[in-house]
Amino acid sequence: MILVENISKIHRRNDGAPVHALRNVSISISAGEFVTIRGASGSGKSSLLNILGCLDRPTGGSYRLAGEDVSSYSDRSLARIRNQKIGFVFQAFQLLPRTTAVENVEIPMVYSGSRVDRRRALQALERVGLGARARHFAAELSGGEQQRVAIARALINDPALVLADEPTGNLDFAASSEIMRIFKELHADGRTIVMVTHDESIAAHARRQILLSDGAVIEDAAICAEERWQ
Amino acid sequence: MKSIEQCKQGMRAIVRFRRRSVFMMAGIAIGVATLSVLNSIGENTRRDTVKRVKNMLGTFDTVMVRPGGKTRGMVSLSNVDPSLKFEDAAAIAREIAGVKQVARLQNAFDIDVSYRDQQISPAVFGVSDNWLALRGDEVEQGSFVSAEDDRRMMRVAVIGSDVRKSLFQQASPIGKTIRIGGVPFEVKGVLASRGAGPAGASLDNIVIIPVSTASRRLFNRDFLTMIIAQVKDPDDSTKVAAAISRLLRERHQLAPGMLDDFNITDPQAVLAQLTNVNSTLTMILRGVAFLGMFGGGVVIMALMTLGVSERRREIGLRQSVGANRGDILFQFLFEAFVVASSGGLFGAAVSWGGVEAVAAYQKLPAVFDQQALLASIALAAIVGVVFGSYPAWKASRVDPVAALRS
Ligand SMILES: Nc1ncnc2c1ncn2[C@@H]1O[C@H](COP(=O)(O)OP(=O)(O)OP(=O)(O)O)[C@@H](O)[C@H]1O
Ligand SMILES: [Mg+2]
Repeated sequence: MILVENISKIHRRNDGAPVHALRNVSISISAGEFVTIRGASGSGKSSLLNILGCLDRPTGGSYRLAGEDVSSYSDRSLARIRNQKIGFVFQAFQLLPRTTAVENVEIPMVYSGSRVDRRRALQALERVGLGARARHFAAELSGGEQQRVAIARALINDPALVLADEPTGNLDFAASSEIMRIFKELHADGRTIVMVTHDESIAAHARRQILLSDGAVIEDAAICAEERWQ
Repeated sequence: MKSIEQCKQGMRAIVRFRRRSVFMMAGIAIGVATLSVLNSIGENTRRDTVKRVKNMLGTFDTVMVRPGGKTRGMVSLSNVDPSLKFEDAAAIAREIAGVKQVARLQNAFDIDVSYRDQQISPAVFGVSDNWLALRGDEVEQGSFVSAEDDRRMMRVAVIGSDVRKSLFQQASPIGKTIRIGGVPFEVKGVLASRGAGPAGASLDNIVIIPVSTASRRLFNRDFLTMIIAQVKDPDDSTKVAAAISRLLRERHQLAPGMLDDFNITDPQAVLAQLTNVNSTLTMILRGVAFLGMFGGGVVIMALMTLGVSERRREIGLRQSVGANRGDILFQFLFEAFVVASSGGLFGAAVSWGGVEAVAAYQKLPAVFDQQALLASIALAAIVGVVFGSYPAWKASRVDPVAALRS
């Protein structure tokens, strides 16, 4: 599913000084895997996820997504891939606050080239247990509910790959557990999930952990203790 | 399909940010209202000018020939070149195909006209009987100078409404004897009031007598102060004017290179000049109006640019779920287009009231040109898109990664 080879990412600070966010990262993720990425703040987790999500381009190296070499793709083609193949979930939810839950969920359909299907958006909300909140403004929902709306939005175009950048980072324990339950369901459906997290207990849900430090992979291990997953 | 759905998104954004949208609409509305009101002032003024020109030239199918070179304004027997003869008038009528009929005029301004103890100095016009028809004048009371009067050099007069007021007050003037330069004339008619000419002077302070009487019994002059040729087809007036010019040059034996000793007024040319859409007034009005539209455009640009920086997260989110740069550009341009054209519509509605008010102030009928209205709404939409294109371009350049980090 994902094959990154020797990618690096150099951000430019405002004063022009380079920041090496990623150094020669090579990762291969198969379809259907549930991978977490951990690391200290500033270790490059988000930078990596943004590249995996075709939202950003690596400074060097190559990236193949589902067999396509997307390193050289145009803005249009990358947008198309984000729309069709990738679902993004963010720490800060990124909902339009003065827009209803169901209208937030519909946004990816706008760019899919087909009609916005209200019924499908409502079904997606029901799947995350928010059918009753569909017509509420996003700003009126709790953090956990907002994140569930965001997940429904990420799933609306049925992507094979779901990328989540600290999806529980702003949530309390109960809400986090609910979100993780949903992610496990998605994984059970056969989706590939890559999740950035600080939290070891969250990371323990995954079968594979990648540890980043200062922009480099320092550990990439399958979690043996199968029972911890169950 | 994508663009339809995107338009819906744009409409929702306009509603979501309604306060900002309303301010943008107001900016454009003011621009359009300024444009429409100024346009109607210009149009009203132009129509008023056309009316005054018609007053002077009578119907628009007459070519006027006056003696002397580049004479300006009204001439009279006392200050004119004796170059234009009765025979010239006859020759024009006879030889130029496009001419329907020719009226002759011999006029003076310094003749005393009196009735009993009242004395005034109106314009005295010796005219042929067809003068009335050619000028589009109307007789209010009595009758006009007839062909018979002219042929027999009758001492009869038709007076303008100002003259009637000055000499007769309320009394009926018909059949009364007035003295023109001491010679007695019988009043046989009164003209309907004409109002003011292009210079603003009254056209009603006038006494009309047969041209033959004027020439032989009053002024003792054998030349004319004006020949008026009525053309068969008003569209031909320019051609007829040229033909008359050729004929007169030949009759007056002017060698090539010599200046004309007459001058010809082609109504088409006069009208074109006076109603020139590029006159200074219209240019100034237009300049102010465009400044108004420009102001509206700047309001759109400023508020939209603010909006784009406030909506960076939304833009980043849209990009993350599949919008490309073109999509973002499109949505923001669409929003600008909708806001500006509805602002234009609103401004047009407001200006309706404004135009009525201006018309009432100018004491002229309101000119509300539907086409100009549509044009101004279209202009508003164009202004919206043009001035919205900078913020829309800014929006399309938002870096999603940076926008979503904030
Ligand atoms: N747009 C940017 N411009 C400049 N520097 C950046 C930019 N984005 C990231 N960086 C830098 O790159 C490094 C990696 O950032 P990144 O956001 O990937 O870290 P992270 O592991 O996600 O951290 P966190 O856990 O705090 O989210 C950091 O040093 C950060 O300051
Ligand atoms: Mg991060």
